[in-house]
Amino acid sequence: MKKFAEWLAKNDYYKAWFKDAWPYVTGAVLLSVFQIVTFATTGSPWGVSAVFANWGAWIIEAFGGSVDKWYYFASEGAQATLDRGFFQDPGTMRNIGLIVGALFATLMASGFKIKKLKSGKQVIAAILGGLLMGYGARLGFGCNIGAFYSGIASLSLSGWVFGVFLFVGAIVGSKMLVKWFM
Amino acid sequence: MQEVMLDCLGEACPIPLVKAQKKLEELAVGDVLIVQIDHSCAMKNLPEWAREAGHNVEIEEVDDGEWEVVIEKVK
Repeated sequence: MKKFAEWLAKNDYYKAWFKDAWPYVTGAVLLSVFQIVTFATTGSPWGVSAVFANWGAWIIEAFGGSVDKWYYFASEGAQATLDRGFFQDPGTMRNIGLIVGALFATLMASGFKIKKLKSGKQVIAAILGGLLMGYGARLGFGCNIGAFYSGIASLSLSGWVFGVFLFVGAIVGSKMLVKWFM
Repeated sequence: MQEVMLDCLGEACPIPLVKAQKKLEELAVGDVLIVQIDHSCAMKNLPEWAREAGHNVEIEEVDDGEWEVVIEKVK
């Protein structure tokens, strides 16, 4: 077993496929192919963060609550998605695939590690950042995937507008990060 | 010449890169900066930046998901 591990660590195919990060171009080509597959099979372009809002709604429903009156879930489309449920939602399956796939990739590269929390500041930054990202993505009708990447891929002007402000936000965010959280 | 350890374990991008850039500025030519990281993105952007800036870079995998990026300041 030890011999196998040593052999594997030196194997070029193992290194190229699992150990080293794939080149940006490979990633771009694969993302484009899967975007087309997603659009063709599910009828909507790729999105990530809207799915998490649905997960939140299902959790509330699981505890006997209702989101029927919430403005965000008021549309017929949103209600239909919620009625179909967790296991009939393509986006849900895709997000589970993302999480499982990321775990698989990090295990295959033997890079799995549970990280320590560095400081209270880091915790605050993470919670604050997560809340702002989630809230902002819902207000903006999409995140950097649904609104930016899929928007541009659909030849929509909104994707480009989103992109410009994404960069503005990134500049402001990194200034704040360096100033307050380092 | 001196050898300086920079603990960036538990820090996510872009903090390891920014910290390394700041630290390297304080060092003299010939000094070695060892950045400890456990964030795989930093494994890409930190060596990339250091090589582009003209420094000597070596990466050591010290444990599962843990690396040391050894940067020798050249100029």
